Amino acid sequence: MRRFFCNFIFLLLSASTQFAGAWSLEEAAKPYSGTEVSLIFLDRPGYNAIIKLLPDFEKRTGIKIKYQIVPYENTREKEELDFSSNGELTVALVDLVWIGEFAEAGWIVPFEEIKKKYPDIIDPNFDINDFIPLILNAFGTWQGKVYGPPFDNYSGLLYYNKDMLKEAGFDKPPETWDELINTYAPKLTKNSKYAFALQSRRGETQSCDSFMRFLWPWGGSLLDAKFHSNLGNPKSQEGLNFRQSLEKYMPPGIVDYDHSDAVNALAQGNVAMITEWSAFYSTLVDPKSSKIVDKLGVAPEPKGPDGRKPALGGFSLAVASQANDKQKAAAWLFIQWATGKEIGKQYVEAGGISGRQSTYKDPALLAKYPFIQPMLDSWQQGVPEYRPRFSEWSKLTDIIAEWGTKMMLNQVSVKQGSDEIGTRTEAVLKDAGYYDGKKPLAQ
Amino acid sequence: MRKSGRALRTRSEARLSGKGKLMPIRAVPRKTYSNGVIFFLAPAVIVLLAVGIFPLLFAVWNSMHEFILSRARIYALHGQPFLWFQNYLGLVNDAGFRESLFRTFVFLLINLPIQLVLGLLIALLLHKVGHEWLKNICRVSLVIPLATTLAVVGLMGRLMFNSSFGVVNYAVATVISLFHSIGPLLQGHFQVLHGFWRHVVPSNMIDWLGNPNLAFATVSIMDCWQWTPFCALVLLSSLTLVPPEIEEAAKLETDRWWQVLWRVQLPFMLPGITAILILRTADILKMFDVVYTMTQGGPGNATDLISVYVQRIGFRQVDQGVASAQAIVLLIITIILSRIYIRYFYREI
Amino acid sequence: MAAIRISKRRFGIAHFVGLLLILFFCVFPFYWMVSSSLKDPQLILSQKPTLTFQPTLENYQDAFQRNVGGSLGISLFVALTTTALSLLLGTPAAYALARFDFRGKRDIWFWFITNRMVSPIVLALPFFLLASNFHLIGNPIVLVFIYLTFNVPIVVWICSDQFRGIPKELDEAATLEGYNSFSIFWRVALPLGAPGIAVSAIFCFIFSWNELLYALILMRRETQTAPVVATSFMSGYQVPWGQIMATGTLVALPVIIFSLIVSRQMVRGLTMGAIK
Repeated sequence: MRRFFCNFIFLLLSASTQFAGAWSLEEAAKPYSGTEVSLIFLDRPGYNAIIKLLPDFEKRTGIKIKYQIVPYENTREKEELDFSSNGELTVALVDLVWIGEFAEAGWIVPFEEIKKKYPDIIDPNFDINDFIPLILNAFGTWQGKVYGPPFDNYSGLLYYNKDMLKEAGFDKPPETWDELINTYAPKLTKNSKYAFALQSRRGETQSCDSFMRFLWPWGGSLLDAKFHSNLGNPKSQEGLNFRQSLEKYMPPGIVDYDHSDAVNALAQGNVAMITEWSAFYSTLVDPKSSKIVDKLGVAPEPKGPDGRKPALGGFSLAVASQANDKQKAAAWLFIQWATGKEIGKQYVEAGGISGRQSTYKDPALLAKYPFIQPMLDSWQQGVPEYRPRFSEWSKLTDIIAEWGTKMMLNQVSVKQGSDEIGTRTEAVLKDAGYYDGKKPLAQ
Repeated sequence: MRKSGRALRTRSEARLSGKGKLMPIRAVPRKTYSNGVIFFLAPAVIVLLAVGIFPLLFAVWNSMHEFILSRARIYALHGQPFLWFQNYLGLVNDAGFRESLFRTFVFLLINLPIQLVLGLLIALLLHKVGHEWLKNICRVSLVIPLATTLAVVGLMGRLMFNSSFGVVNYAVATVISLFHSIGPLLQGHFQVLHGFWRHVVPSNMIDWLGNPNLAFATVSIMDCWQWTPFCALVLLSSLTLVPPEIEEAAKLETDRWWQVLWRVQLPFMLPGITAILILRTADILKMFDVVYTMTQGGPGNATDLISVYVQRIGFRQVDQGVASAQAIVLLIITIILSRIYIRYFYREI
Repeated sequence: MAAIRISKRRFGIAHFVGLLLILFFCVFPFYWMVSSSLKDPQLILSQKPTLTFQPTLENYQDAFQRNVGGSLGISLFVALTTTALSLLLGTPAAYALARFDFRGKRDIWFWFITNRMVSPIVLALPFFLLASNFHLIGNPIVLVFIYLTFNVPIVVWICSDQFRGIPKELDEAATLEGYNSFSIFWRVALPLGAPGIAVSAIFCFIFSWNELLYALILMRRETQTAPVVATSFMSGYQVPWGQIMATGTLVALPVIIFSLIVSRQMVRGLTMGAIK
């Protein structure tokens, strides 16, 4: 009898701890049912993927997601206007270069605070360490604090036309930039076809895709440890000069090429290789927009003398400070769900790029999407401060965009251009207080 | 009859005092009308003031304070630093602002006359009697360039002027191949012309958007495409003000259309011309969407017009204080230019 | 005599050719946009622009999937309302400036046009704050009012010149018959000023229809205007040419239709002057 009673108590206790310990989205979301979460999406595959999965979330939690699709160029201004005048956004879409600014302005809430304030909504399975360290660090962390998980993730990849390479006698893509320019390029540039296309249009495209890409792999960088300009460093100069010499293997008017132009050049078979964002994979394998669907090869970006430092870009989702208590909780529930382990695979199938290591442990997934492996490799080796993420970046990117294009047009020499950028950059950083200790040297 | 044409001009000239100052419309016994003035004017004035005055004052206020959006929380706690005219003085040192402004004026000086003259020609052609059905079609088609969203105009420009698959280069290539095929007929002349052509255009693929000068030209072309019809429509409605008898009389006097234009039609069109000058100047100083979607201000600095620059400061560096100062400066410039236009071009009919 | 006839005929031909050139100049880029919207996206980007091709409606289908239809409705509402209001407010003001004489007239006349001179970039934030204080964010009414600031000046300026060109003898005759100023405005000025009113109505409609910045900042997804939707495709990475051209065409069509309807007034006014 006693044994039965003990077993019964034991069962009861274990059953109750089961119920007490099991966290479910529906349960956690009950107090917030009916709350609205308002945020901005871009018209890109990752966002379209999550939109497809939204009805499921809304059904399970009763939380309404009100999203608005805005062009990337206007996203930051819309968010900034909203946050600085007590608007209605409750989730912030944070480009990695905006995180310094948003965090310093106090517009986004650190994850720790959310954990402390709303312990019940935190999914014990969320496992923040499952995210690929580089991108969690680069997209969602500022000065050691995590603000939000990475959501829309990109890496620079080398896309190439297998047939064009084979014709020129190559059966694999170039491993290093040196190889690319000395061995591959001359053989691939003839008959109005070019070896390479580098998107270089004035704007973020020039500063991130064109300029930075030719600094890091050579061991150069924009800033040194003390935040003074490092462009005068011979390694930086070597990289930038390399870019100039690459120009003869690129189509004329390359300075005006934006992402769509470079991707299109490859897709139409006019150019043999490009280094572009991973998100363009879907465009390049879509027969409606690409002529090289079955000739497409994907590889990590070529190495420079200092190793492989591919371009890094992406967005994280963070809770907005201006939201009220209920909205903050609802917002976090959404963010947690959207980047959670549960829907990782579904998300990728729908066209998104998950940032979790667990999602990619599935060999079938890797086989289905050949760009994933090079992307994962790239994320092992990248540099989080590929572009400095402090709030002064918006000023620096304009300086670099202007003088970087002038360099490519040969309106100024590489040395002159670098000096100009250096002087102006240091002026901006001095004003901001980085040199006299008013601001910590964080990028 | 000639007298009436000349007399007309003289009468309009007489409306100006010797010093060149504008005189109000002479007050012929009109006291009977002035009671209703308030009711006619008030609604418009009240509405415009109600909607427009706060933002303008806010912009002026911003221009005298520091206002960087990302510091909004700091301002909430400590208030916004009052900067007197520091933002304005900073503009003097700002080489980027000066260069952009200069570039915009060059743009203005090149494009405004073209649009005005072409618009005038179009208006004259549409005013002239004959080919009614074709004229109607033309009149409606004038609206098409204006009807296109500015951002889409920029994208259209990218598509048409693309050096590899743009239709403009295709047309150029066709013309060249035509030229080549009739070349033998021209013999010696051909060599000279061909040499000249090759010197100007090194290859068939003209790099409209990648070459700084050509990019400037391309933006100009798209701007002219969009706004010449605007000039034409305004001038067309001005032409309708010319009393038909005077026009008929003048046409009987002389066979030369330009004399009719100069003596009879132009004086009536001066208010319309002034309106165009002022509006186009203001618009070019505000011009942003087309440039942004076509070239984003590049390559280099070639198409970095002043409002592209202001937008960069105001929305990308989110410094609304400096951007407001710049906009106020632009406003002052526009007002000064407008006063100049009015003084030299405006005649009351 | 024969010489005059020949030269008149030559002039007639020149006139004809001139009109054709105008037509070509205006229509060709638009034609290119429409034809691109009907092309397979691959064709748009191909090396040789093709003048003959298989038309396809898939770009339009994609466009409608993005709620372009709803946004056209909103744009129509905003543009028509603000045009009507601008004419309502602007034409009496233009008449007052044309006919009456009072102190400060020159300055008010100039003040109207200065409303159009400030860059929207620095007015966006103040308007945003105003609108959110009145809880009007997302409500198209707020756009109607903001657009008045640049539409009323156009109406005032174009119509005041038009009204000034109406011979004063007509006014005097009407006064003698006992009409008050409002009736004169209504019966004499408006009909005779039709060309100017028509032109300014067209401009109001166009400028309101195509306005981007305020519509982008002040509207929400459900109430976005057509140009905002048309440009939301620019994600910074992709440029889906076919869809953009399709939405561009769709966005331009209502304006063209509106102008067709209104431009008849322009012709009417032309002949009115002769009849008097």
